[in-house]
Amino acid sequence: MKIDTQGSPAGQHIRNQPPLLEVKNLSKVFGHGIGRGHETIALQDFSLTLYDDQPKITAIAGESGSGKTTLARLILDFIKPTSGEIFWRGRNLHKMPKKELMSYRHECQAVFQDPYAAFNPFYRVDHIFHMAITEFKLARSKAEAARIVDDALEVVGLSPQEILGKYPHQLSGGQRQRLIVARAFLLKPRLIVADEPVSMIDASLRAMILDIMLKLKDEFGISFLYITHDLSTAYQISDRIFILYEGSVSETGDATGVINNPQHPYTQLLIGSVPTPDPSRKWEEDIEVSADEELGKGDKAGCRFYRRCPHAMEECHRSRPQLYEVGEDGHYASCYLYQ
Amino acid sequence: MSESALKVEDLKVYYWTARGPIKAVDGIDLEVRKGERFGIVGESGCGKSTTAMSLLRLIKPPGSIENGRIVLDGADILALDDEAMRSVRWSRISLIPQGSMNSLNPVIKIGSQIADAVVAHEGSGGRAAAKARIIELLGMVGLPARVYNMYPHELSGGMKQRVCIAMAIVLQPQVIIADEPTSALDVVVQRVVTQTLIKVQERLGAALIIIGHDMGLLAQLVDRLAVMYAGKVAEVSPAEDIYKDPLHPYTQLLIGAIPSVKEKKRLEGIPGLPPALLEPPSSCIFHPRCPHATEQCSREVPEYREVKPGRMVACHLFN
Repeated sequence: MKIDTQGSPAGQHIRNQPPLLEVKNLSKVFGHGIGRGHETIALQDFSLTLYDDQPKITAIAGESGSGKTTLARLILDFIKPTSGEIFWRGRNLHKMPKKELMSYRHECQAVFQDPYAAFNPFYRVDHIFHMAITEFKLARSKAEAARIVDDALEVVGLSPQEILGKYPHQLSGGQRQRLIVARAFLLKPRLIVADEPVSMIDASLRAMILDIMLKLKDEFGISFLYITHDLSTAYQISDRIFILYEGSVSETGDATGVINNPQHPYTQLLIGSVPTPDPSRKWEEDIEVSADEELGKGDKAGCRFYRRCPHAMEECHRSRPQLYEVGEDGHYASCYLYQ
Repeated sequence: MSESALKVEDLKVYYWTARGPIKAVDGIDLEVRKGERFGIVGESGCGKSTTAMSLLRLIKPPGSIENGRIVLDGADILALDDEAMRSVRWSRISLIPQGSMNSLNPVIKIGSQIADAVVAHEGSGGRAAAKARIIELLGMVGLPARVYNMYPHELSGGMKQRVCIAMAIVLQPQVIIADEPTSALDVVVQRVVTQTLIKVQERLGAALIIIGHDMGLLAQLVDRLAVMYAGKVAEVSPAEDIYKDPLHPYTQLLIGAIPSVKEKKRLEGIPGLPPALLEPPSSCIFHPRCPHATEQCSREVPEYREVKPGRMVACHLFN
């Protein structure tokens, strides 16, 4: 199950440099619930490759419980995988000496969902910049530090005079989230893992944050892993997309291709459920989700989507489908319909 | 024009602080017709939830309703004493509060939680008789009868939200208010809950007021839509008109900011920030962010009036 996330023929990638990030068959199993022998497979067999010289926004989309945040936490090295490996510039993340790990921490930054929780309310917002500058020795003088902070603020469209010296509560959610992006940018990262960066931001300011992500990719070559439940924003800004369902990739490919032409029955249901901002184009039909389906967990042996699938077949129940090629540009779906 | 189920006139709700009142709702007029689905949309802090809470007179200090009339069935509920208001609440106007799926009591079974509302209004004799009724209600929102004997933690988020819908309709009110009824749910579950809400509302023939921030979702749901900005109503129009031909510049920008899975476009944000509501300007409140602002907009408050049949707008562009 090797997928070239660049969507170009594998032969093109004979190059001197190892990929920026290579995730191989990553799995994470949580808990053995005391006395119950109960395990939750949060992520199963996930693979992904990103190249430094081809910056991309890769969306990881899924509903709650699909494993998207687990993936983010694994890549950020907040938790250890149950199996599988993560390579950063060809080096195994879990076997790196401390010094190398620091440079990884420098080059791979994170933006989280809640811009209210990301600040210490007792410090002025400048604190987040100063911490990063001190920790990674980014500036030799105060003047230089001030200059790089100003530059980073300018990139996200904030004016230093208006923002610096304020306390977090004096700023709006959109301003705070832009500050977090500016802090990440300050470190000149190669990859930003953005976990639901706009889900708590109002519509009018959301576009601005998404624009900044596009700008950082186009002008500064920064790649993004955009973790989201919102397919419409993923469609608008991403190059590649992975759709996760209960820990497994159900479909992946070029973002436009997958969303315009979804192949997996789950992706079809998901995209059909996104409300259209047009009262004359209503949802086609009522869908029923029976209580048992809603409460039950996915089939352990077979396809996770088996019980909800309108096309369920005998073999879907028996074993899990692998990813089958369903279209151009590395479009794959894990469904026996495409065997 | 059909009869009105609820009429709000010049409602003002302020939150009192040491520095003066925060004008969360600053003089709004709304009319909701019988059996209609009416949406109120706006960004955080625009006063939409405060409006919802004040319709049930649930504003708590330091907030207070300063002015206005809320007419339900010909009577102003702001003039009722507390006891009379208690009997109106839930039996004639009910609320599905924001995040209500997390407000269920974790140690009480679903059935008893719903029965509490019946007992409070109809006396404790009602409890036994209520069971059959509650099981029927659960069926109406698409839940199996066994949910009656289950605890909240045994249910998924979407199921809990449907329990809250059942709870809101147990006394068959004529007006149901749903504050962000699906905001924490996944898209598929959101669709199921939304469709449940529509089905229940049509069956009861009640008016449904949906508070939300997702213009895409509201397009699927409502007959008419009110757009609120900074404590005021910017525009009220029928849904089919407002998405095709938004009148108020703020509505236009809001619609331009909706991402879609149908077409790829450059998303436009709205530059600037909503004003502080401590001392709102005595002019059009949107003018600092408005692309069409003129000198008049910075001087005068635009009148809120009907500019086309059935379409109410507060904007100088239409004078």
